[in-house]
Amino acid sequence: MNKVLKWFKKRGWNAQKFQKECWKAYSEGKNGILHAPTGSGKTYAIWGGIIEESLKMKKHKTGIQAIWITPLRALAVEIQKAIQIMTNDLNPDLKITLRTGDTSQKERGNQKRKPSFGLVTTPESLHLLLSTKDHQKTLQSLKVIVIDEWHELLGTKRGVQIELAIAYLNYFLPNLRVWGISATIGNKDLASKILLGSSKSFVTVNAEIKKKIEVESILPKNMERFPWRGHLGIHLLSHVLEIVKKNKTTLIFTNTRAQCEIWYHHLLDGNPELAGDIAMHHGSIDKKIRLWVEDALRKENLKVVVCTSSLDLGVDFSPVENCIQIGSPKGVGRFIQRAGRSGHQPKAKSKIYFLPTHAMELIESLALQRGIEKHKIEDRLPYLNSYDVLFQFLMTLAVGSGFNQKDLFPVIQKTFCFQTIKKEQWQWILNFLVKGSQSLEYYDEYKKITILENGMYKVINKGIIMRHRLSIGTIVGDATLKVRYQKGGYLGSVEEWFISKLIPGDIFTFSGRNLELIRIHNMEVIVRKSKSKKTRIPSWMGGRMSFSAHLSNLLKNALYEETNKNSPEFRALTPIFDQQKKESIIPKSNEFLIERFETREGFHTIFYPFEGYAIHEVMASLLAYRISLLKPISFSMSFNDYGFELLSDQSFSKEDFLDNNLLTKNHLNEDIEMSINISEMSRRRFRDIAVISGLVFQGFPDKPTKSKHLQSGSQLFYNVFKDYEPDNLLYQQAIEETFEHGIESGRITKVFENIENQSIVWCYCSQPTPFSFPIITDRIRTNLSSESVEDRIRKMSLQLEKGKT
Amino acid sequence: MSLIEINNHNFILHPSGAIFWLEKKTLFLADVHLGKVAHFRKNGIAVPRKAEGLFYEKITKLLDDFTPTRIIFLGDLFHSEQNNEWYLFESWVKKQNLEIILIEGNHDIIPKLVYNSINVKILENLIEDKFYFTHLPIHKKDYFVFCGHIHPGVKIKGSGLQQMKMPCFFKSKDQLILPAFGGFTGLHILSPTKGVKVYITTGKEVMEMS
Repeated sequence: MNKVLKWFKKRGWNAQKFQKECWKAYSEGKNGILHAPTGSGKTYAIWGGIIEESLKMKKHKTGIQAIWITPLRALAVEIQKAIQIMTNDLNPDLKITLRTGDTSQKERGNQKRKPSFGLVTTPESLHLLLSTKDHQKTLQSLKVIVIDEWHELLGTKRGVQIELAIAYLNYFLPNLRVWGISATIGNKDLASKILLGSSKSFVTVNAEIKKKIEVESILPKNMERFPWRGHLGIHLLSHVLEIVKKNKTTLIFTNTRAQCEIWYHHLLDGNPELAGDIAMHHGSIDKKIRLWVEDALRKENLKVVVCTSSLDLGVDFSPVENCIQIGSPKGVGRFIQRAGRSGHQPKAKSKIYFLPTHAMELIESLALQRGIEKHKIEDRLPYLNSYDVLFQFLMTLAVGSGFNQKDLFPVIQKTFCFQTIKKEQWQWILNFLVKGSQSLEYYDEYKKITILENGMYKVINKGIIMRHRLSIGTIVGDATLKVRYQKGGYLGSVEEWFISKLIPGDIFTFSGRNLELIRIHNMEVIVRKSKSKKTRIPSWMGGRMSFSAHLSNLLKNALYEETNKNSPEFRALTPIFDQQKKESIIPKSNEFLIERFETREGFHTIFYPFEGYAIHEVMASLLAYRISLLKPISFSMSFNDYGFELLSDQSFSKEDFLDNNLLTKNHLNEDIEMSINISEMSRRRFRDIAVISGLVFQGFPDKPTKSKHLQSGSQLFYNVFKDYEPDNLLYQQAIEETFEHGIESGRITKVFENIENQSIVWCYCSQPTPFSFPIITDRIRTNLSSESVEDRIRKMSLQLEKGKT
Repeated sequence: MSLIEINNHNFILHPSGAIFWLEKKTLFLADVHLGKVAHFRKNGIAVPRKAEGLFYEKITKLLDDFTPTRIIFLGDLFHSEQNNEWYLFESWVKKQNLEIILIEGNHDIIPKLVYNSINVKILENLIEDKFYFTHLPIHKKDYFVFCGHIHPGVKIKGSGLQQMKMPCFFKSKDQLILPAFGGFTGLHILSPTKGVKVYITTGKEVMEMS
């Protein structure tokens, strides 16, 4: 470790213990995982080992030798810069290149002709590389693959992509070394095992850097006017402006891109002097602008940046002094991560403000603070049996070099995700790809993968190859259109469904500017600047996050524990709690609260298990199903992290509900499965699955009619599978994901066991309570009905609205 | 089923989305999109084959119920280029003892000659007794228009925040748009304005909404 250590010293740095441990383990040829928070020097802990080893080699073989995977494009840029600096000083002949969705076709060509020593890339781009014919040759000199921010990838389908890629690389590169870098998470042993396998020996290195995090809730001066619902928190703008004023640099984290745009505008309107000192950063903003913002942050040229999770990770911004979190961060881990963006220097204190967007979130603030004190960080749950990702991966191989199914099956079985896959499922999958899951009929012309004479599975049809390459990736979104000024200059991209609602001349806000839509042309939205104040803000579809089990326990404790009653948050909540107690109760740990009231909309029944969105989604559908067995009835359900609502046009009585023992844990799994089938909750899940597995092809402009004829929505597929092929693994996956993913196994049973020990408090209320308000006003709903379609229609009327005809 | 009168002629709206013109013993179907499933499958997208098969079951039942002398398809009979689905259609046509007319839709790219070879007549549009039959939903002065193309549906809602989207016949003063007859087709949601009559099709019933 001489050269790297010298390099550290020359820069006046002290190599830390964990860095030395990593270097040593790497030089011994081991695999490993490094648990280290962002900004701790983790990049050099891994790259140091790689570069030191490169110095020992006299002559380098051509071809990529090291691949570094990061989850975010912004991060990839940062990593590439950092490791190129070290490489330039120590082994200046070696090049590090970048390959992401932003990389031009020309640059990709260069990389192919002259492969660099190191390649920094994303999971999607790695898979694209595997879809080339000669990828085994391109990668023949590969020695190491590093998975950075593994904790971020783990709980997503991109994590499955990584599992598959590593298993596959290992198959033709048996000596490949694998290193992971992960922040601390609850299930860190499992996380390592998934990445590195249990059979192999690997080292675990812990960088023990405990950072002090200070949390402060932003409390309004007057609680009486504190909103009971809402997700913007703009009413606390003046407090935020004060914080911004006091500090050199502030990062404001929002949960959605729309929220980000809105806050940016209000900050600027609230203090026009901020112009020039304020910027915005989210995933839909053009790369150039994003890079500029990141650079300006580093050079201390900005006073405040409003961002989304796009700035959660990596990227080192030492000057940030403060962070503000708008609305619930949904988990202790994410909150700590965001807090860690400030006070980046070692040993500096991190300060984060929590801005509750509605009253209930104040309780959450307390829960988060307790979570940080106890260092209770949640687990990241890996996906199991994600057949959609497997289909995509098999196609990726089949459009390139092709695959031999007998060789590949054991490779797939080695992954954590598909460890239980059986021969018959494998056969089903192959049959789906080769024959479209049907037995061969003479007139069926199904064509996707062809089995060649030598037994290789390969795609021959050029159209299928092209469509697959264009849709590799597991981050699912609507088709997006680029936004560009008439005179040139890209601003970013918006989702098609938003733009389709606008007509030329309409004004919308994007990238912090008010823009007038001129026309849509070739997947580009042509705009000009507008001074008009009347504007619309695009919303981007995004998955909803649920509380982790940890956070819901913390939340319950925050609510139950007497000691909290003196906290500033509780004192601020007094008027709200008083209102709640007028109509209902604040449940104690031994009480299960159910509220019933009637409004113009119908009969509302609200349940408060405080178990998080994911559990509530399943519970709501389960109870709706059990009630619907008693009589024909239709429910509209809504859920948040505190509770859920069953809304119906007819009432069911307290006695019916309690006497029939509907909260029993008996037949739990059967009932849940039935309810998910009936409520069609899995419909939403299926949307992603259909895109990832390649059923839904988004379509591209200027393509011949034949390609347009292949467009279809995921809903249509959901319907035909449900009606004609319910044993289809993709349809089954949608159902399993609905009630398994996001729920730690057995947690739902525990929830019901817990309820059996609670006393049920059913409160009749004359009007909606503060607790119920955020739930009943949520418009994202699911239905479950035991009435016939015709009976339901007879009670309905046409919805008249303005729009196109 | 629902009987409506237009210009002193009688039309039966069928829950399957078909219309039967009593006076002329003519059956109308719009947007069948035959071969769509096969087209998807040919291009590597594994839609279950059974999704296609329903057309022949549905139409056989309609022929039994109404015994028409003429069938008019109001466009988009086939979804795309010719594939094996064509042979099923061909053999079905050969068994029929009635006149079959296709009014061309934007999806109908199979050459006229091919249709003519199995005695299916192709027209751009058709005028009979102050009625104008076409694919695209247009308005024509002095005529009542029957058309398809957009796969009309409506959003309905009721108390308890109930809502649904259903296919329908969409009838305005001088135009009636038929729902898509094909199984593997989507819906385009329309917003009824004043004077519009909406007949929802559930497969079992035709329900007039107001």
